[in-house]
Amino acid sequence: MSKDIFVFIECKEGSIRKTSFELLSKGKELAEKLSSELYAVLLGFDTKSLIDEIKPFAHKILSVDTELLKDYRWDTYTDAMEYLIKKYSPYLVLGASTITGKDLFPRLAARLDAPIVSDAIGIEVTDGEIKIKKPIYGGKIISWVTTQNTPISIVTFRPNSFSIVKGDTAAEVIDERLEISMDSRINTNRIDKGGSKKVDLQEADFIICGGRGMKGPENFNILEEIAEILGGRVGASRAVVDSKWRDYEDQVGKSGKTVSPKLYIGCGVSGALHHTMGMDTSKVIVAVNKDPNALIFQYADYGIVDDLFNILPALKDGLKNLKQEA
Amino acid sequence: MNILVFIKQVADTEARILIKGDNRSLEIENKYNLNFFDEFAVEEAIRFKGKVKDSKISVCTYGGKKAVEALRTAIAMGADQAYLIDNTDLDTDDPLITAKILAGFAKKEGFDLILCGRQAIDDENGNIGAMVAEFLKIPHVTAITKLDVVDEKKIIVENDIEGGKETKEVQLPALLTTQKGINEPRVPLITGVMKAMKANIPVIDPVTLGLAKESLDRNASKIKILSYETPKGRPPVKIIDGETPEEKVKKLIKLLREEAKVL
Ligand SMILES: Cc1cc2nc3c(=O)[nH]c(=O)nc-3n(C[C@H](O)[C@H](O)[C@H](O)COP(=O)(O)OP(=O)(O)OC[C@H]3O[C@@H](n4cnc5c(N)ncnc54)[C@H](O)[C@@H]3O)c2cc1C
Repeated sequence: MSKDIFVFIECKEGSIRKTSFELLSKGKELAEKLSSELYAVLLGFDTKSLIDEIKPFAHKILSVDTELLKDYRWDTYTDAMEYLIKKYSPYLVLGASTITGKDLFPRLAARLDAPIVSDAIGIEVTDGEIKIKKPIYGGKIISWVTTQNTPISIVTFRPNSFSIVKGDTAAEVIDERLEISMDSRINTNRIDKGGSKKVDLQEADFIICGGRGMKGPENFNILEEIAEILGGRVGASRAVVDSKWRDYEDQVGKSGKTVSPKLYIGCGVSGALHHTMGMDTSKVIVAVNKDPNALIFQYADYGIVDDLFNILPALKDGLKNLKQEA
Repeated sequence: MNILVFIKQVADTEARILIKGDNRSLEIENKYNLNFFDEFAVEEAIRFKGKVKDSKISVCTYGGKKAVEALRTAIAMGADQAYLIDNTDLDTDDPLITAKILAGFAKKEGFDLILCGRQAIDDENGNIGAMVAEFLKIPHVTAITKLDVVDEKKIIVENDIEGGKETKEVQLPALLTTQKGINEPRVPLITGVMKAMKANIPVIDPVTLGLAKESLDRNASKIKILSYETPKGRPPVKIIDGETPEEKVKKLIKLLREEAKVL
């Protein structure tokens, strides 16, 4: 039985998403352990320019390049994935638990009657057994999960779960042509990509998050400036989103987005459980809060007890200088 | 029109959760709620019913006997009927099984529109909606933030996509999962609560839904929990002191560079 691995490549605005390179890096490591092949699966339209970027990361690239796959739709993408999976019989299919991944993979799993473990943060393969690490109950518990009674398993991972390791393979490119058609029961009327220029919140390496302590929407400018210096994103607590200071797409937490950047800085965020559930897998957490007893200090690596309006200008200048020196 | 809403009862986010001695099961404090994202689904069903004459809302869950409480919450909000598909002794962690059962129920009950929350906040899977739709061979739309009725055969929905929103026309029957922002779920009125308390909630044996018992139990599950552990806690916070904000920030940046190595 094949132990080959598929990694589903996600594109956004014409480039490959960072999370796909993370998955390719992990997939390569697993394929080496299993002495199997890693396939990068690239679906889309006019994707030729992207193929070279993937080559060092995979053994083979399955490319389906057709106008029908230009924009993601579950109907065409599920059909294409089903076709490729039936043809190549991979043992593991890896994807990201992004908006697209959360839409595509459950549908695909049902189509194939294959088990799916979603929103995982780690994976190990030991003598034939797959062990998947997945937080549940908002990160209060870590579960280790495996699959059984199946030749194939699907796993989706949170962005930022693995580091990117550029390989030195020169993947063979296989062009696949397939018959697919759109489901006529769904018609896209309009696509609005409002904030698409921004770094994706879930993929950002750096997030500076403002809470109610920011006092008003105008004060988020300085957070935007700091985010820009570090190439990151501004996040917000629910209190901020509910007050309409920021959009819902910026919300970090249980009812917002789960993020795990390298560095999270919370400013005027109290650290309510519903908030920390969405950020406590961040690598390093810094909290700025004037209340020394704020809950967020229980989750932070570093804390500054002070008025954020004194700290933020100094932080902005300090980081600016740092970047200029570099 | 027949509107089905699939819901789940989940542990409250504040509930204490302990890992039992065998590392394979959990002890959950007795604090349960209707899943956060499912409240939007129930609310949207009620609003839909207000727009389309002769609609009926049935809510259903595949869960333990206790899950009847979440069904009653949905009735108190305004659902017409509730069903409990009893999973006693059949509790598995495989969403494929749950989705097959719910699809079986939908086929038996009949439906024009199915709503459910975009994900459960306990296992955080978010698989059930698209899976049920696939088993029923109907279209699905995930994480909708708007639902408009065109006529009895067609709706227009808006949903989250990468970096934005998409608006699409969808033919019914279809399955939609609800995202925060679509509506403000109502707080049940006392009359609703009274009605819910008195409501007769049929208990359905899953084997009556066209699936063999052997295909539903732990041995049939394609997902197996190996163990649970508590996440590694962080070391205690280092509070950075200093005379001035500038001094504190300077120290912080130094630590982030040299100790944490993230800058
Ligand atoms: C079902 C449910 C889901 C939820 N989901 C989420 C979610 O996804 N995300 C989320 O964030 N919340 C969520 N919440 C809400 C959450 O419980 C908290 O209410 C919220 O996170 C609080 O936001 P905050 O920290 O910005 O505000 P507050 O709790 O009001 O905290 C403000 C903080 O700012 C500090 N501060 C004030 N002024 C200054 C200053 N000048 N300098 C420095 N510090 C200052 C204060 O000391 C305080 O600690 C949810 C709640 C429920 C019930």
